Amino acid sequence: MFVKYGVVLRSIINRVASHRVKVLSAIHASQLIFFAAHVPFSRMEQGHLLWMLERMSLAYYAAGEVIVSPEQGSADRFLVIKQGTVHGEQSVAQATEDAWLELAEGECFPLGALLAKRPVASVYRAGSDTFCYELAADDFNILLELSTPFRDFCTRRIANLLEHSKQLIQVQYAQSSTEQQSLSSPLSALIRRAPVTCAPDTSVREALELMHSSRVGSIVAVDRQQRPLGILTLPDVLERIALPQIDLGQPVLGIMTTQLTTLPPQALAHEAALVMARHGFRHVLVVEDGRLAGLVSEKDLFALQRVGLRQIGSNIRHADSMAVLQHAAADIRRMAHSMMAQGVAPEQLTQFISTFNDLLTVRVIELECAASDLRDTPLLTGVCWLALGSEGRYEQTLNTDQDNALIFAVPQGMSADQVRSQLLPLVARINASLASCGFPLCEGNVMASNPRWCLSLEEWKQIFSGWIMHGTPEALLHATIFFDFRALHGAQHLAEDLRAWLSRVASDNTRFLHQMAENALRNRPPLGVVRDFVLDHEHTLDLKVSGITPFVDAARIFSLAAGVTHTSTIQRLRSSAARLNIHAAEIDAWIDALLFIQVLRLRHHDEISGNAELDNLVDPERLNELDRRILKEAFRQARKLQARLALEYHL
Amino acid sequence: MLVRLLDSVARFVGKRVVLSVEQQQRLAAWRALPASRFSQPWANSRCVVMDVETSGLDLRNDRLISIGAVAVVHGRIALGDSYSVVLQQDVASTRENILLHGISGSAQRDGMPAADALLGFLEYLGKDTLVAFHVTFDETMLRRAMRDYLGLSFKYPWLDLAYLMPALNPALAGKHRTLDDWVTAFGISIDARHDALADALATAQLWQVATTQAARNKIFTFEELCDLEQAQRWVYEIS
Repeated sequence: MFVKYGVVLRSIINRVASHRVKVLSAIHASQLIFFAAHVPFSRMEQGHLLWMLERMSLAYYAAGEVIVSPEQGSADRFLVIKQGTVHGEQSVAQATEDAWLELAEGECFPLGALLAKRPVASVYRAGSDTFCYELAADDFNILLELSTPFRDFCTRRIANLLEHSKQLIQVQYAQSSTEQQSLSSPLSALIRRAPVTCAPDTSVREALELMHSSRVGSIVAVDRQQRPLGILTLPDVLERIALPQIDLGQPVLGIMTTQLTTLPPQALAHEAALVMARHGFRHVLVVEDGRLAGLVSEKDLFALQRVGLRQIGSNIRHADSMAVLQHAAADIRRMAHSMMAQGVAPEQLTQFISTFNDLLTVRVIELECAASDLRDTPLLTGVCWLALGSEGRYEQTLNTDQDNALIFAVPQGMSADQVRSQLLPLVARINASLASCGFPLCEGNVMASNPRWCLSLEEWKQIFSGWIMHGTPEALLHATIFFDFRALHGAQHLAEDLRAWLSRVASDNTRFLHQMAENALRNRPPLGVVRDFVLDHEHTLDLKVSGITPFVDAARIFSLAAGVTHTSTIQRLRSSAARLNIHAAEIDAWIDALLFIQVLRLRHHDEISGNAELDNLVDPERLNELDRRILKEAFRQARKLQARLALEYHL
Repeated sequence: MLVRLLDSVARFVGKRVVLSVEQQQRLAAWRALPASRFSQPWANSRCVVMDVETSGLDLRNDRLISIGAVAVVHGRIALGDSYSVVLQQDVASTRENILLHGISGSAQRDGMPAADALLGFLEYLGKDTLVAFHVTFDETMLRRAMRDYLGLSFKYPWLDLAYLMPALNPALAGKHRTLDDWVTAFGISIDARHDALADALATAQLWQVATTQAARNKIFTFEELCDLEQAQRWVYEIS
C-alpha cells in the first residue's frame, strides 16, 4: 500500500515541480500555513500535506445548516474547519437543546465514523457561517496509510493529543526551571519563607535558641516597623560568641553586623551574587519600603531545588518539630513542581503528593499524640484517623483543604461521649498543626475536631444508615465526602470494619444509589451551544466541579453498587468495569480524560502558587489551543460516563 | 515615452500577434470547445472565480501582471483545481505598485511568457462560467491582454459579485461596497490581500455564500443569477 502511493505521490510532486506550461494546481502558501498551525497536520510531511490539499475542497455551510448527519449513511468525507464553528449534537430530537461538543478552527471530524466506515452518531451542524476543508473518505483512507502522524492522530486521538501536550508542558517547564535557576530572576522569586526575626533587645541566648528551633542559619533584628537593624549568622556564633565567651544575657544587637547590605525585591539574583562575592557575605536582606521582606542566602542562589525525594521522606519521618514539617511541606510543593517539569505522569504525580502528604499528616499526628497527656493511655490505641474526600481518594492537589474524621473504639465502662470529650482537644491541635503545614482548615468544618465527625464505630454506622435510608440532599452531599474515607493512622481495623459494612449496605440499597446518580447527573460538564465551553460570568471554568467531579461521582456510585472497596477514582473505575460490563477501552478513555483534567488543575495551582488563594478556576482562552481541545475531549468523555450512569439507573 | 507612444499606436492600429504553431494549436483547441451552458444549475457544474493583479488602475495603459483563479466544482472550491501565473514583463511595474501586490521586478521578469500564461488560463478555464468581483476591471484587463498577446477577442459571460452581493443582501448593500467589506461581513479571512490567488480564493468563498443565499430564493442557475445581476445594475443606474 505504502509503496504504491509513494510512487503516485512522487509523480504528483514531479508534475508540480516541472515547469510545464499547464501547471495544474496552485496551492496557495497560506493554506499550508493554516495546516502547519494545527495538530496533526503540523507533524505531517510537507509532501503528504500537499497530497492531501490537492484532493481537498472547501465547502461553505451557512449557520444552522446540517453538515453531516446519521441519515446520510456511512461517513463520506473528512472535514477540517477552516473558519467558523461546528456543533455535534447527540440526536436529532435534542438538536436544539444539548450540544455535545463544539468544534472550532483547525479541528477535524468525524473521525470515529470514518475509521469504522459507519454513519456518524451525532448531527454536525454549522454554528456560524462556516468553511470546511473536505477530503473524500477514499482519500482519507489512503492518507491514513501514507502518513504515520496522521494515522496516529486519528486512531489514538486523545492519547495522541495528551502525548503532544506533555511535550509542550516539558518544554514550558524546562524554560521556567532554567529561568528559575538562572541569575536573571528577581529576588522576590527566591524568597522561600518569612525571615526569622527578633527584637533588638532580645538576649543572645534567646536569639540562638530561636535560630536553633527554627532551623535557620541567620536571624535579623528588626524594630517595630520591621526595619532591619542587624543580622547574626551561624559563622558569627563561633567568632563573636563562642570564642570570646561573651555573656549570653546581653542584647543580641550588640554583637550583630549592623552594616547591612540590602536590595529591593525587584533586584536580580545576579546582583545579590555580586554583592555576596564582593563583600564576602552569605546573606542579602531583601527590603521593600524600608521593611524587611526576606532573606536570600548564598545557598538559595546556587543550590535551588536540590532536595531529593528520599531526603524529604526521611526529613518528615524524623521530624521532631512542626517547623521541620512546615519546611518539608514546602519541599513537597517544590518537588511537585520539578516533577511536573520532568513530565511525570499525572497518576504518579498525584500519588507522589498523596504519599508525602500522608507521611506528613501521620508525622503531625504522631508528634501531637506524643506531646499530649493522653500518650501511653489505652484510649489512643483504639483510635483511627480517617482521610475523607479527595484525600481519601488519593487525589490531593497542592491546595486541598483538610477533610478528616476520627473513629474510636469505646473502652469498657466508658461512654462514647466521654471518649469524645477526652480526644477532642488533641484532635483540635492536630487540625491546627496540619493547617500550619499548609493544609487549610475545612470551611465546612468536615474535620475530626468537629464533635459530629469524631465518632465511635457504632455511631458511624448509625449515621451512615440514616443517610442511606433517607437520602436527603444533605445526606447525599455528605455521602460524596464521607463514603470516600480511608484509614490514615492508628487502628486500621476500625476503618476496615466500617468499609466492609458500608459496601454491603450500600450495594443492597438501589434506591439510595439511584438518588446519588440523579444528584450526580445534575452536574453537567460545561460543553455549550454558544461557544466551546459554558463559562460563568467571570469567563472561567471550574476544573474541579465541572471537570473532576463528574468522574469522581460516577466512580463512587459504580463502586458502591459493585461492592468495590477502593477509594481512588481510577481504581474504582477499573474494578467496577467487569461487574458493569464496560469495555476496557472505554474505561481507559475515561481515566485518560480525568488525568488530563487533573494535570491542568495541578499546573494551574503550580502557576498561581505564591498567591494566598489557590482556586480551580481557569480561563479557557488562556489555555493553548491543544489543551483546549483535549479539555473539550475530556469533557466529552465525562458526558459519555454520565450517559452510562444514566443508562444504569434509567435516568 | 516614445516606447509608450509607439505601444499605444500599435495597440490602436491592432498589433500583429505572432504565435508559434503549438500555441496556435492550443488556441484552436480552446476555441473548438463547446460553449458553456449558462442555463445550467451551478450545483452540478464547474465555474471559475478569478482575480488579477495589474501594474495600476488605468484600464487603457496598465498591464496585467498576474492571474489567480480557483474552480468551484459542484458548489465546493476544489483546492487541487486552481491556477496562478505571473506574466513575464519587459518592464517591471513601479515601486509603489510592487509594494501593493508584492510581485518583485525580478519575479515579473521571470514570469511565464504572456501568450503561454494566457493559453494556460484558457485551458484551465475551459468554457466554464467566470466569476469575479468588479468584473469590469478584471474583464477589461484580461480582454486587452488576450487581444494583445493571442489576437483573441475574448467575449465571455461573466458573473459579478459586486452586483450579486447587494442584490442578495439589500440590508447590507448601503454600507458594503468593496471586496474587503463583503468578505469581512461574512467572516472570510483573506490570507494575503492583493495576491491574485488569495483574493480569488476569498472571492470564491464569497461566491459560495452568494449561491447558498440564492438557492434560498429559489435561484439555481447561472442564467437566473445573471438576471439578478442585471436588475441590480439597473437599480444602481437609476438611484
